[in-house]
Amino acid sequence: MTTRTKNILGWLLGALFGFLMSRAGATTYDYHAKMFLFQDFQLMEVIGVAVLIGMAGIWWMQSRHMLSLSGDPIQFPRKPWNDTLVLGAFLFGIGWAMTASCPGTVPAMLGEGKLPALFVLLGIVLGTFAYGVLQDARLSCRRD
Amino acid sequence: MAIDIWPGWVGGIGIGLFVILHFWIMGRPAGCSTGYGNFCGYICRLNYFRSGEYKELNNPRLWFLLGIPVGGLISAQASSEPWHVSFTMGMYDAVLPQTFTGKALWLTFGGMLLGFGARLAGACTTGHALVGGAMLNPPSLVAGMVFFASAMGMTWLLFYV
Repeated sequence: MTTRTKNILGWLLGALFGFLMSRAGATTYDYHAKMFLFQDFQLMEVIGVAVLIGMAGIWWMQSRHMLSLSGDPIQFPRKPWNDTLVLGAFLFGIGWAMTASCPGTVPAMLGEGKLPALFVLLGIVLGTFAYGVLQDARLSCRRD
Repeated sequence: MAIDIWPGWVGGIGIGLFVILHFWIMGRPAGCSTGYGNFCGYICRLNYFRSGEYKELNNPRLWFLLGIPVGGLISAQASSEPWHVSFTMGMYDAVLPQTFTGKALWLTFGGMLLGFGARLAGACTTGHALVGGAMLNPPSLVAGMVFFASAMGMTWLLFYV
């Protein structure tokens, strides 16, 4: 499979993901507030069912050693522990509460015409950039 | 902006099947937050955004992010209320800063916490809570719980304090 084909498939999967996020209610601000204030459990139901379906599918693909569309073994890498995981997750949660969005829903909100997402998008790029600046600084300190 | 919303379990089945489909088509787990670094790689010369996961910037992860707005647009176009731009945030309008500048700064700062926090934690709600949760990966389960607990605490502060 060429890089271009993979990119096109990635783009199509992104469109599917955006559509599903939108229809599931993840791009509707109030569902986030209502979930955290225990007034409505739409998004809890969505993520709970999605995780269970995903779990069954992953178990099935692993037990059959299924190959990907391009014929290679499917990779199931697990995100590792790191020292900053809990701090990062804590900061991420504050951002989630402040914006009622996350990195996956922001682009979908833009497609829906929700302008607040423009500022959140700018923030996510800036925050990611800040992490890169820190990583580069750390590496150059180690080299000195 | 009113999007037609499916019942929670229908949305959950759809997203669960998406997780599986992504593994089969791309041969690897779905993720959102990492792709934002590809944009950083295009606009700056930091080593971090030119090596490791970012060695090849024009990759499916970047195109995945570029595809998401299309799905949002289709969903909005196919909803009963016609597509239009909006700056309202429902219940949040009562608790967020009331001026345009204040709201813009608030959202930008919240976005920075999302971007910075996701890199510190290694992934976002998709990579940790959804896919990592489906793989029963312990670090992802911890991250997912902390995401949720801190967002809940902050939401209570916002609405009740």
